Amino acid sequence: MTTTRPPTQVAYAARAVDASKVYGSGEAAVRALDHVSVNFERRRYTAIMGPSGSGKSTLLHCLAGLDRVTSGRIFLGDFEISAASEKQLTLVRRNDIGFVFQSYNLIPTLNALENITLPMELARHKPDPAWLDTIIDTVRLRDRLSHRPNQLSGGQQQRVAVARALLSRPEVIFADEPTGNLDSKASTEILQFMRHAVNEFGQTIVMVTHDPNAAAYADRVVFLADGRTVDELVGPTEATVLDRMKRLGA
Amino acid sequence: MGRVTLEQILGKKLRLLLTSVAVVLGVAFIAGTLVLTDTLGSVFDNVFTTANNGVDAVVRAVQPFKASGRNQSSNDTRPPIPDSVLPVVRGTPGVARANGSLLRFALVQDRNGQAIQNQAPAFGLAWYPRGDNVGDALQLVSTYKGARAAQPSGADDVALDVTTADSGGFRIGDRVQISFANTPPRRFQLTGVFRFGGSDNALAGATLAAFTPATAQAVLNAPNQQGTWDELHVRATAGVSETQLRDRVNASLRRAGLRAQYEAITGTQAANEQSNNIKSNLSFFNTFLLVFALVALFVGAFIIYNTFSITVAQRVQELGLLRALGASERQVVGSVALEALVTGIVASLLGLGLGILLVTPLRGLLGAFGVKLPSGPLQVQARTIIVAFVAGTLVTLVAALAPARRAARVSPISAIRDQAVAPTSGRRRYIWGLGFTVVGVALLAVGLIGQGSNAALTVGAAAAVVFVGVAMLSPLIARPVAEVLTLPASWLHSVTGLLARENATRNPRRTASTAAALMIGLALVSLIAIFGASAKASFASAIDNQTRADFILSPKQFSPFSPGVAQAVRDGFARISRKPATVVEVRQGTGEVAGTVHAVSGLSPDFQAVVDVPVRGFDHAAFARGGVLVWKDASPLCGPSGHATCTTGTTLAMRFPIGGTVQLPVAGVVTDRKALPAQVDYMVSLTGWERHFTQTLDFFVVVLKPADVSTHQADAVVSSAARQFGGVNAQNKADFKNSHLAQFDQILGLVYVLLAFAVFIALIGIVNTLALSIYERTREIGLLRAVGMTRVQLRRMVRGEAVVVAVFGSLLGLVIGVGFGGAIVQAAHSQGIGLTIPVGQLAVFVILAGVAGLLAGWLPARRAAHLDVLQAIGTE
Repeated sequence: MTTTRPPTQVAYAARAVDASKVYGSGEAAVRALDHVSVNFERRRYTAIMGPSGSGKSTLLHCLAGLDRVTSGRIFLGDFEISAASEKQLTLVRRNDIGFVFQSYNLIPTLNALENITLPMELARHKPDPAWLDTIIDTVRLRDRLSHRPNQLSGGQQQRVAVARALLSRPEVIFADEPTGNLDSKASTEILQFMRHAVNEFGQTIVMVTHDPNAAAYADRVVFLADGRTVDELVGPTEATVLDRMKRLGA
Repeated sequence: MGRVTLEQILGKKLRLLLTSVAVVLGVAFIAGTLVLTDTLGSVFDNVFTTANNGVDAVVRAVQPFKASGRNQSSNDTRPPIPDSVLPVVRGTPGVARANGSLLRFALVQDRNGQAIQNQAPAFGLAWYPRGDNVGDALQLVSTYKGARAAQPSGADDVALDVTTADSGGFRIGDRVQISFANTPPRRFQLTGVFRFGGSDNALAGATLAAFTPATAQAVLNAPNQQGTWDELHVRATAGVSETQLRDRVNASLRRAGLRAQYEAITGTQAANEQSNNIKSNLSFFNTFLLVFALVALFVGAFIIYNTFSITVAQRVQELGLLRALGASERQVVGSVALEALVTGIVASLLGLGLGILLVTPLRGLLGAFGVKLPSGPLQVQARTIIVAFVAGTLVTLVAALAPARRAARVSPISAIRDQAVAPTSGRRRYIWGLGFTVVGVALLAVGLIGQGSNAALTVGAAAAVVFVGVAMLSPLIARPVAEVLTLPASWLHSVTGLLARENATRNPRRTASTAAALMIGLALVSLIAIFGASAKASFASAIDNQTRADFILSPKQFSPFSPGVAQAVRDGFARISRKPATVVEVRQGTGEVAGTVHAVSGLSPDFQAVVDVPVRGFDHAAFARGGVLVWKDASPLCGPSGHATCTTGTTLAMRFPIGGTVQLPVAGVVTDRKALPAQVDYMVSLTGWERHFTQTLDFFVVVLKPADVSTHQADAVVSSAARQFGGVNAQNKADFKNSHLAQFDQILGLVYVLLAFAVFIALIGIVNTLALSIYERTREIGLLRAVGMTRVQLRRMVRGEAVVVAVFGSLLGLVIGVGFGGAIVQAAHSQGIGLTIPVGQLAVFVILAGVAGLLAGWLPARRAAHLDVLQAIGTE
């Protein structure tokens, strides 16, 4: 568990080393990641941006152990994900990684609280009650805990997803277009919660987005194009991100 | 539109196949049963055509009344025909030859004294010398095991069919011991062996012993029936047809004043009658098997309904798109109906093929449970093919009707909005369900209170209606039941268990109709269990508490045995003791009272020494002189008017197979008949039984040894008598009880195996529903895996859902089964059966159903566990 994670020699929460991902073979082969090397620092909020087809989602999936790289290596802390078995990957996902997807983040048969505690229950771990309270209050879901997903708004559902990701204090939370399906008010809320998690709880977050406004909440933005890292920006603002994106031809 | 549908169906071959399986098995069951029955029918047609080969006409006694029920051979109620009729027939113009024929019980013993008997009967018959014979079914084998063979010509000669001679290990010249129904066993010399219509084996497995005509009459007929035949066989001169011969013989009979008693029929008609007689006995098996086939088909219909409901729900966007593009409601219904039609046709085709393959195992199955049937070339008649296709297609179409109509209600807006089909108003469904259930229970009451041949049909219909009604109502209780069932999961705080429960209850209707299929199987299984346990307990109690016996002799193969056995027992005891043994014989016959045929039991006058059968006003002397005992609830048919209540001293007019109508003195009224082997209304004493019945064999012999004979000595006497005659079990009371209980179990076992088909189909339904549900929940499964559910946990979750569904279904079935079983047993109270509920056995059924559910969940669970996480999440 990550509550008192001992400091490791590695300074990065996640790393890709010379990672390539090829879909298909021969004539039809598509190189989604082309020798990408990138590091994600601990306790930082990093955004990955790039035009459609740039490989940003593929990179996120490979970092999160949902997909495997064709060549190169992927590390989560000092653990090499690219060499792990399916069973190990499941345990890593359960214990060391949190997910927030664009939509359909919740199990429809479970209520909000059950959804939040689901990964802990699967691991048969007892959630720390104080921590659970903190998170529920942070995402302001106290009065919605017994509601099922179909009784929650899109923004509320996404807040449940963020709470679920935070509960196990994972090494990294990977968020794939978390605000893609939300209106601007709900988007702002979600982005503020994630920012808050990094600032106050020391959480590491890696987020794929195509929204410069969302990227502006991050500490650093990594730009991808044609499967390669082409640029990066520390301390982004909406304007600087937009400017870089224009240069990439997005 | 049609082509779009067809392409879709072919695009989902696996689903088509899985859905079809539900119907395939039911159709296969029907087809297999029909082919088996037709095959047996053709075997018997051949046998009797052969047996009557060369016989142009048959002369026999006019049947006094028609025997009803099974196990009544065609001759049962016909009196014999005396030698004196032969000259009349022989003197008819156009008659080339005529002679008498007998076919009666004759049991051959092998060289070790063991009776040679299969499931088929053992017959003795008369074999006329070449040139004198009418029928030519028997062909002498010229040499047997190197020795020259000859037809029997002396009084002590016998010939056997090849199969019997082989299994007895006989050679020409050997002494052969043969026992008979009415005359003492005798030893004969084997002079020859014969084939029957070109086949080594005769008459579908029967053993045959052929004697000279004079010997046959002497040994096969009862002493008071000497000089008689079962029937006369007649051969025509050249140029005289069968019908001409028949008419001429009937004319001579009329001239001789014998036409009222005797009749001539053509040889062809005789063969047909004999064959039909056997076939109508077999039709019991046909009906028996078809009932289970219909159950299987009924269960299949639930699965079809469920599968189509789910696929329509899943295709809601696609159906909406079709509607948006201009498809009419009728076209949408048509598209679903077309899919059902294709499924039905594919299923029928596969079912027909499987059914033909099923014939041999089916015969083997019946054989394993003691019903040996002869084999022959398979008969696949056009009727079988038509029935299979109509049944398979119709069931599929009807079951898909409701889902198709629901599909038509999909609005075009569904194409763009992700929403489920608006279900029919729940309240309407439940009102209908309640209505069905009430009507079903009412039907059950009608079926049980009203008597008659339709009672079974009414009860069956009641069950079907109740099944549909409960299936419609059961979504109401799916959730609470699932919650109770998963209590252990909540105690263990198992999130997989919790998810399994939630999955099982998220669509209560789907769960309910999946469970309903299993409910039907379990209801029938528990009904049979209750019925079986009650019958067994009542039988055991009748033997334990109401029967006194040191030994009970009973037939090994359901065919009655010679009364010589009882006599041998009496003689055996007389040799070693001065005190008398009590030997009570029990026989079965038929008699006609007021125009209705009744089963009649024959009992030794002193029967009350061995069974507690209280008789009100018992006039022992009148009974011993040939009086009748009447069951207390029998219809009032006594007295000169024929409408008076039967009490001691009144008379009852009963018509017997031999001797016509007799006014029998009523010797008493039976007030409790539970201890009797047959629950009949009329019991006559065995005194003079031979005067009234052609059938003179015993079904049971109950023995109380003389007080001064040791059990060991008595055992020797009884066993020796049984061995001498063969085909008889001699058992003490406990062994008799246990072996009969084992027979009950054997029959119950057969029924369970046949019901297992229906249960198996229901399990396929669970597999099918789960597979479709998992397809539906692909994204959700991906998400679960993404947040850390292991494959093991995922499998456990899916299997848990399967178990919840299975146990839910089996509990529903149990409730219905106990209700029906209890009601039916209560209604059978007058048959001497009291209700016993085998609680342990029923509990085992539920546990087995849970295990079966676990197995049914295996494949879908595996499939779910092997979904690619990333792809699953990406699925929209």
